[in-house]
Amino acid sequence: MNVAIPKTKAEQALTEAFAASASKLPGGTAVKSARNDAIGAFSALGLPHRRIEEWKYTDLRVNFKDVAPPAIDDATAVSAEDVRAALGSVANVDVHAVVFVNGRHRKDLSTPGAMAGLEVQPLAGALTSGSDAVTEGLTTTTGPRSDATIALNTAFMTDGAVVRIGNGATLDKPLMVVFVTAGPRAHLTSVRNVISAGDGSTATLIEAHVALQGAATGGQTNTLSEVTTGKGAALTHIKIAAGTNAAVHLANWNVSLGANAEYRGFQYTSGQALARNQIHTVYTGPGGKLDLSGAYLVRGNEHVDTTLVVDHAVPQCESRELFKDVLDDRGRGIFQGKIIVRPNAQKTDGKQMAQALMLSPDAEFDSKPELEIYADDVVCGHGTTSAELDGDLLFYCKSRGIPENEARALLIESFVGEALDKVEHDDLRAALSQYATVWLNAPRS
Amino acid sequence: MLEIKNLHVKLADEDKQILKGLTLSVPKGEVHAIMGPNGSGKSTLAYVLAGRDGYEVTEGDVLWNGESILDMEPDERAAKGVFLAFQYPMEIPGVAGLTFLRTAVNAVRKKRGQDEMTTPGFMKFVKEQAAKAQHRRRNAEAPSQCWVLGGEKKRSEILQMAMLEPTLCVLDETDSGLDIDALKIVSDGVNALRSPDRSTLVITHYQRLLNHIVPDKVHVLADGRIQKTGGKELALELEKSGYAEFTGKAA
Repeated sequence: MNVAIPKTKAEQALTEAFAASASKLPGGTAVKSARNDAIGAFSALGLPHRRIEEWKYTDLRVNFKDVAPPAIDDATAVSAEDVRAALGSVANVDVHAVVFVNGRHRKDLSTPGAMAGLEVQPLAGALTSGSDAVTEGLTTTTGPRSDATIALNTAFMTDGAVVRIGNGATLDKPLMVVFVTAGPRAHLTSVRNVISAGDGSTATLIEAHVALQGAATGGQTNTLSEVTTGKGAALTHIKIAAGTNAAVHLANWNVSLGANAEYRGFQYTSGQALARNQIHTVYTGPGGKLDLSGAYLVRGNEHVDTTLVVDHAVPQCESRELFKDVLDDRGRGIFQGKIIVRPNAQKTDGKQMAQALMLSPDAEFDSKPELEIYADDVVCGHGTTSAELDGDLLFYCKSRGIPENEARALLIESFVGEALDKVEHDDLRAALSQYATVWLNAPRS
Repeated sequence: MLEIKNLHVKLADEDKQILKGLTLSVPKGEVHAIMGPNGSGKSTLAYVLAGRDGYEVTEGDVLWNGESILDMEPDERAAKGVFLAFQYPMEIPGVAGLTFLRTAVNAVRKKRGQDEMTTPGFMKFVKEQAAKAQHRRRNAEAPSQCWVLGGEKKRSEILQMAMLEPTLCVLDETDSGLDIDALKIVSDGVNALRSPDRSTLVITHYQRLLNHIVPDKVHVLADGRIQKTGGKELALELEKSGYAEFTGKAA
């Protein structure tokens, strides 16, 4: 029996918004056709809901209610000082910055000049002027097929960074791509980064999603980063989503690792009403090393979902995951981590850990590790824990004169610190640690 | 002066009475030892003095310098000069020993109305206190690596004690797990802190610690009460005769 599920208000609004804005979105015929296919696919899929296993804990039919108008050619006045203020401690890290405001590249706010070994082009321009072969690469992903969030990104993407790190290049400072939400009106913002790290290159890429003080709340952001690392490349990729003001933040990382490549991904999320961070990684050659980690600070009614798939498609690769959630009030943290080891992926070494610190009896942590192992000569393990603050350590701190709230903060920082330690860039790690401290000391509503 | 008056303590979530009318005074400048068999309530006494959760005082009081401390939070007690050296010292993962120590020292100084210490001032203070407690650096090649970073938990506990400048030191079975050399080093640290303004309560199961930290008085704790009080020679008697006399009385 085939029962048509009635479309939700948001599903309808999304297809209508696409129809109304398609002609204004960047790209020639081939791109337009890819966008049309994507909205068609979305229309057939609908918003994911709890009956779809991967979306069991994050029901977008329920949580994605209103659709703000898509941000196209936005011209909100924003100063460099505004951006610095929005970035907080991260603004002090020495980087080469490329800034986007409401999904549009802002040359005036970006670091002028070039960096050796690095090419950065705004996606909008690449979609408009690129050959069909180029735009095909920009409109397709290695992420999961039949994913509504990816389909929406392809349909609506306005801009982002197309990054090419040359073979053998070593970037002398991190590249930071900043996405700023600004202005009095909420928007649906859709951005995409397409990153390729050349063979033997070494680079650090930071993606920061932040909002200006006083920016409208209630919008939606949909961000996707498509990452390809060449043979022996070493890429560090950091995503920061700190108070983006969005009601819904949908994020995808699709990463493919070349032979002997090393990819270190870290995600920091706080002050996010609802976030779904999907990470999909696949190895394309042996000897790849993957290290994924993250820290999530969740309070109020916030909901942060991390869903990742590590696909050991080839032999002799290593994967490590460490995710730490701090959950307060009625905050909800979700971790779904699937490790697939294909039949020929012998000598796979995979370890995964997800830990939640529960600061309130009303907080909820849902953790679903999955191992799908089809090879026989592998070492794979996963673990998950959820615990309250250690009463013995709390007493220890207090017995040394440290007041309760400072002692709690110290122990929370110690918990989060283990994940933050995965960030090897000293200034950036210090800046993120400062984010966590600010979060801990924020006045409670 | 520490005055423990007719102290009755039970476990908070269990109907189990542990201390059953313990009375004891430790005047300023004195070191008293509490000895007793396992399960006599020694550690409970230490925790109740420091203010740990999980215990309920059903009767009696604890006065420190004439003021009841039972309603105070552990950090307030620390500011009043109470220090508990743990049987098994703790560490906070990922927090460096010196960072923790500085946080603690400044928290206590703030509550005592003293100025917080700057980094150089604090480092100088660490060096002074470590020298006073006769702690030598473990590795002369790495002068910045004060031994406190070496993970020698018991010794770092004694340095904490020196740094927080307590007036009431409670040492809970601080000899547990120490070899004879470590015992001597820890004892030297405690002895260095003996002063006319400080009361010290050494809780131990064995007499051997008291060869190094010589007490003014020895109390025998069994079945939740002080069963006998004497001079330092009482510890030697106990070493010979054991606790049977007192546990027998308890049964």
